[in-house]
Amino acid sequence: MKTKSEKKWNLPSVLGLIIICLFAVLCIFPFIYMVVMSFTKSTTLAIHLNDVDFTDFSNFTYVFTKSGFLRSLLNSLIVVACACFFNCLIASMAAYGFEKKNFPGKEIVFRIYLITLMIPGQVTMIPVFIIMNKLNLLNTYFALIVLIINAFGVFLIRQFMSSVPDELLEAAKVDGCPEYRIFFRIVIPLIKPVLISLVVFTFVTAWNDFMWPLISTTDSNMYTLTVALSLLKTQYQTNYGLILAGATVSFIFPFILYAILQKQFVEGIALSGIKG
Amino acid sequence: MTKKRRETVEGILYVLPSFILLMIFCLIPIVMSVYFSFTDYNVMKAPSICGFSNYQKMFQDAYFVASLKNTLIYVLVTVPLQTILSLVFAAFLAKKMSDMKTGGFLKSVMFIPVIASAVTAGTIWRIIYGADNGLLNSFLGIFHIPAVNWLGDTNTALISICIVAVWKNVGYFLVIYYAGIMGISREVYEASAVDGATSWQQFWKITFPMLKPITYLVVTLGIIWSFQVFDLSYLMTGGGPGKSTVTLVMSIYNAAFKQHRMGYACAQAMFLLIVVVVINAIEDKVFKEER
Repeated sequence: MKTKSEKKWNLPSVLGLIIICLFAVLCIFPFIYMVVMSFTKSTTLAIHLNDVDFTDFSNFTYVFTKSGFLRSLLNSLIVVACACFFNCLIASMAAYGFEKKNFPGKEIVFRIYLITLMIPGQVTMIPVFIIMNKLNLLNTYFALIVLIINAFGVFLIRQFMSSVPDELLEAAKVDGCPEYRIFFRIVIPLIKPVLISLVVFTFVTAWNDFMWPLISTTDSNMYTLTVALSLLKTQYQTNYGLILAGATVSFIFPFILYAILQKQFVEGIALSGIKG
Repeated sequence: MTKKRRETVEGILYVLPSFILLMIFCLIPIVMSVYFSFTDYNVMKAPSICGFSNYQKMFQDAYFVASLKNTLIYVLVTVPLQTILSLVFAAFLAKKMSDMKTGGFLKSVMFIPVIASAVTAGTIWRIIYGADNGLLNSFLGIFHIPAVNWLGDTNTALISICIVAVWKNVGYFLVIYYAGIMGISREVYEASAVDGATSWQQFWKITFPMLKPITYLVVTLGIIWSFQVFDLSYLMTGGGPGKSTVTLVMSIYNAAFKQHRMGYACAQAMFLLIVVVVINAIEDKVFKEER
């Protein structure tokens, strides 16, 4: 039950509402501008609304055909798909081991996992680059994917794993169910909600990752979308319609996912802050 | 094999793939990073030990010092702004609009900048900030405010980037604050309303104190993220004009991948690591004392 005074719309709260609405407009407006501009041929920044032609996809076709953007899009999709799959698999295996099995030194090792969450990626990036360079692994999907996988997923899933009843696992074992089947047939379906959150989180991290792809890819065939987008501005200088068409393409995938999985999205991303 | 022994083996096997990755791509690199920071290393030749000279050089290097100064300004501008805005918006949405569709909608809209990559955001805002007839200048022109070369002027470039960062982060911290406020029992508010507390008093006497742990989290996270800023600066200004928007991570990036001074870059990275560890330790300590 709410008291009346709580919902009263007096002058200050109306002003508050106006401010909050203005901020919301400010949040979405740049993206609307991006989409609208990507349909213009304009090479000056002045907006000529009569230049806008929503049936003219030439900026998009140009970006895709001439600048290798299509290849980058494909690379990003491959990296994201593999990163999501392997992160979920490896993290849920580890979380299951930590939560449901006993082995000496378990909690100490888990503590190390938690500590690594704190370490900024830029600190390990230089030695990792050197290792990858020595092993000839730069410019590979492996290099792009493997750095997305970190201890966060293990931490996230382990919290959820405690809700999986031990009795169920015991019962399956008594029935002679082999260990790997217990994991894939019983555990994985039960932790599905948290896996979706992890997929969303991994998707956004991998899709938006910039510094590591920038460093680890020198071959334009291996660029991810963020790197390709950052290069458009040097390639096409003031062809703003073209650059913003590229930005639109890179934004549309996470945006669609957000529109579909809004709740998991907000949860998955908000969770990343609660870590450690 | 006994049951216990078997469980031990299984447990280790389950954790092993993840542990190997953590070892190769996190733990060993940290040790390497510490070691390299005390060496002269340009990838071509084997690293040669040089003591603390990288660390000494660092604070005499105008580029690094500028990056440090800019990063500090960046932290001091973005963190308070994004914390206050997200708290106030979250409190307002929770209080006035928690059971309205519009409230949820506003929250979703404000989250959109969070899902965009810094590269996308930087690309759009670089164009909005454009000096010649850019959207912002055109808008200000309506009010007869003279055009400003936002990203091209040493006085405004860094601030312009800070504003984009705040714009991008508010939605994120708003979600965290909102969840925290919804976690505060309704009864507390009702009881205080019966006692005649105004909304303003409720905010300062109930909401704000009860959200203290969340505020620690938001501030700590905000500071740590801000210290790691790279993408926005790289995209929007490339560190310029002059050294006015060079950030700490950009300085590391340039030392390592433009000048190939790996040892020197690792020393700078160690500095970043120490900053992050200290901030985390402070948060931990304050957090424990509060409880």
